[in-house]
Amino acid sequence: MADRIFGCIALAIALGYGFIAFTIIEAPFQYDPLGPETWPQILSVFACLCCLYIIVLPDGTRLKVLGSTLMRIAILLILLSAYAYLFEPIGFILSTTLFCLVLSRILGATALQAVVFGVASGTFGYLLCAVILDLNLPEGFILKLLRGLS
Amino acid sequence: MNEVLAGLYTGFGVALAPMNLLYVIVGCFSGTLIGALPGIGPINGVAILLPIAYSLGLPPESALILLAGIYYGAEYGGRISSILLNVPGDAGAVFTTLDGNPMAKNGEAGRALSLSAVASFVGGTFAVILMSLFGPMLASVAIHFNPSDYVALMVFAFTCLASLVGKNPVKTLLAALMGLMIASIGIDANTGVARFTFGVPDILAGIDFLVIVIGLFGMGELITLVEHQITGKLKVLPVGKSFVSLKDLAVVKWVVFRCSMLGFFIGVLPGTGASVASAVAYGTEKRIAGKSGENFGKGDIRGLAAPEAANNASAGGAMVPMLTLGIPGSGTTAILLGALLLFNITPGPLMFQQRPEIAWGLIASMYIGNLALLVINLPLVGFFARLLTIPQKYLTPLIAVLAFIGVYSVVSNPFDLYMIIGLGLFGWLLKKMGFSLAPVILGVVLGNLFEDNLRRALSISGGDWKVLVESSSSIIIYVLTVLILFVPPLYGRIKKSRMEKKTAE
Repeated sequence: MADRIFGCIALAIALGYGFIAFTIIEAPFQYDPLGPETWPQILSVFACLCCLYIIVLPDGTRLKVLGSTLMRIAILLILLSAYAYLFEPIGFILSTTLFCLVLSRILGATALQAVVFGVASGTFGYLLCAVILDLNLPEGFILKLLRGLS
Repeated sequence: MNEVLAGLYTGFGVALAPMNLLYVIVGCFSGTLIGALPGIGPINGVAILLPIAYSLGLPPESALILLAGIYYGAEYGGRISSILLNVPGDAGAVFTTLDGNPMAKNGEAGRALSLSAVASFVGGTFAVILMSLFGPMLASVAIHFNPSDYVALMVFAFTCLASLVGKNPVKTLLAALMGLMIASIGIDANTGVARFTFGVPDILAGIDFLVIVIGLFGMGELITLVEHQITGKLKVLPVGKSFVSLKDLAVVKWVVFRCSMLGFFIGVLPGTGASVASAVAYGTEKRIAGKSGENFGKGDIRGLAAPEAANNASAGGAMVPMLTLGIPGSGTTAILLGALLLFNITPGPLMFQQRPEIAWGLIASMYIGNLALLVINLPLVGFFARLLTIPQKYLTPLIAVLAFIGVYSVVSNPFDLYMIIGLGLFGWLLKKMGFSLAPVILGVVLGNLFEDNLRRALSISGGDWKVLVESSSSIIIYVLTVLILFVPPLYGRIKKSRMEKKTAE
């Protein structure tokens, strides 16, 4: 059943993709026999055929996810989005500290462990990646303020 | 032959430069480290470390040497969690668990780990030697390929993929098509027309390859980790003091030799990597062992050595089509190919002539990498095994942080952070639905190449589609494609009917 639902969704996407390929994409002028639309057209036809096959002859895959598991994954996705949202404005150190703290607490660490782990990954991560390896990470307003003062 | 020797001379000149030598060792070490983490397979490890290696700002040959080291190291590290935890990091490691884990349960974990390290070393070295012999030969043939031959090669690659990887060929094909469709997003390079961008400026240049890789393989794996978090408690078996003996090696020497050969040639086939190689090797050895093969699955050293040798030999074999044709032989080499493209190096037959320092430097670094891994792994296996005891509650957040660092340090666009979360969810769903992710990434990497060659072929012919089947080499490739499509199912059917006959008697 899950197979069929997935097949239908995929078919809808493939049809939408094909619709755009067949109607909207068009080069104003071109010298080559194949324009930008031909390749997506070929892909959409094959993709639709595959989806139809899955809908007609599903192999019986079931989506086995418990409600509690789904809940955990939802929380993870929310946390990740919050991390992504805060990443640039408040900087790597603070956002990483918060993210690691909350997620490890949810996954079963004690309050003390979570705080130590969060602070450690934020500061050591920044030291290792931004200072030693010279990678580009958002420094955030705290470091900016400190830099402004000194 | 002289060409090979001259190439190797150049290559070792590059790879033995002190800094590059250091990168090989650092790559192997960090690769093993991340490969040994529970639940992280080689492909996830390479995906997570790729952007970080990229944004270090190294010259291309050094960065590639580092990445190849990570690739090999992750393959090595993967077997540690297979043997001690009974958790295979990827499909290729499943057969390692079959005999490796029972050995560890019998208190012979040290023996199993050291034996598999030696088997991997032999398989890997064997593959590199074959690669240095056959690679330039294949490149000199491929240099005469025209665009329509390349189209034929792509068709061959995707057919191999559909027919040999995964349980359901249609799903594998659909996964590859999804990858091709993702690759078609963005501005068309020939005409400047935007395709499927829906006016979002962040994807005008296409979805960044690194973002796709980290999303599908890093974030997707993270969600899987959280999903399995409470469902099962993992128990790490102790390494112990047992060690591989010369007698063991004498028992498995032909097994390792045969499986290395087998693994290499399966790895060379585009699209089929370690998973197929280790499965075929295990099955073949079990059949060859005959009566004494009954112990397979209960901790037989031959059953452990066979998939390990094949696994690593295929990792080397998969590099051959990647370097010489520009068509990766497995999901992980697809990621490496993407890395090459990031450095503006187009792998293919010309690379051996135009950038010999990169092609041969990479090959030479694999000789060194294999040796380094053996040296790192035999004494340090206890240390790597301890990584398995890192609790999930710390490991999971750290993977997310690594993925974020990787994406941000390369692209510096917060939009891509959301993108990897979305792609991770997509990858997790695909895996839940019984799709494999390797075809998706192959599609993403090959998408533009496929389309460009098709368009070029038709430009040459002035729009006549017959050009695709006109050259002799493309016809040969299409014949091979048909063979790949029909021989394995037929063979399976014959074997099945023979089995039925046997049981009837």
